[in-house]
Amino acid sequence: MSYLYDLPNATSGIDAIMVQTLNIFPALTPLILVFVFLVVFLGGITRQRMRSGTADYSAWAIVASLATLLPALIFSVQVGYIRLDWLVIVISLNILSAIWFFFDRKASEV
Amino acid sequence: MSSQITTTVSIVMVILFSIAIIGFSIGFATDNDAVMSIADDAELSSFNTDTRTDMTTFQTDANDTYQSIIETTVEPGSDVVQSSAPFALTVGNFVGVFKNVVMLPYKKIFGSGDGFGIFFTTFLAFLVFIIGLLIYKTWKGNP
Repeated sequence: MSYLYDLPNATSGIDAIMVQTLNIFPALTPLILVFVFLVVFLGGITRQRMRSGTADYSAWAIVASLATLLPALIFSVQVGYIRLDWLVIVISLNILSAIWFFFDRKASEV
Repeated sequence: MSSQITTTVSIVMVILFSIAIIGFSIGFATDNDAVMSIADDAELSSFNTDTRTDMTTFQTDANDTYQSIIETTVEPGSDVVQSSAPFALTVGNFVGVFKNVVMLPYKKIFGSGDGFGIFFTTFLAFLVFIIGLLIYKTWKGNP
């Protein structure tokens, strides 16, 4: 039977499966990170809007950025999971979210 | 428009957050012997060092400025202080540091080339057009 992709070698551990999958499909890591960010960001603002009628977009952006940073840092421990430029972009996203968050606060908040 | 204190607090918090998040990431990589470390990125690494140095300078300046505030005297019969030195801190000292903080994510996400620059150029041109239109309409009314 012919496969569309070369199947990873499952006998050398689940991390090897991940690395071999990433060799075939390098965009998997960024897609996972984007998935985490969007789930937290969109899920948070949707749920908060359902509960209170309004949503704090900047606060959810910084929460989602930090939630994205954690898997990105864990990916950085093993070779082959994440590239340096993606790690730097996640850090940059955190800083951008912080700028939005702190300048979005009113004088009575923070 | 937010107040001077709010703006200053926001800028300080943004800079401190940037230092904290970069320091945490570098520390994580060091502690766990990670293969990828953001300390490997030369630009981010030098930004981290520069910002820490700038914040140390700010700490000294803030202490000096606070000292000048509590030592300010107002002459009898005068409504104002003799100089504006006590109010000289805040945004003025921070423009350079804050500009670096803002430019770092911009360069890292959009790149330092002019490929994406056309977006901002067009957007700024649009804003200038809108401002011109607003001035005209305020002055002359709807054309």
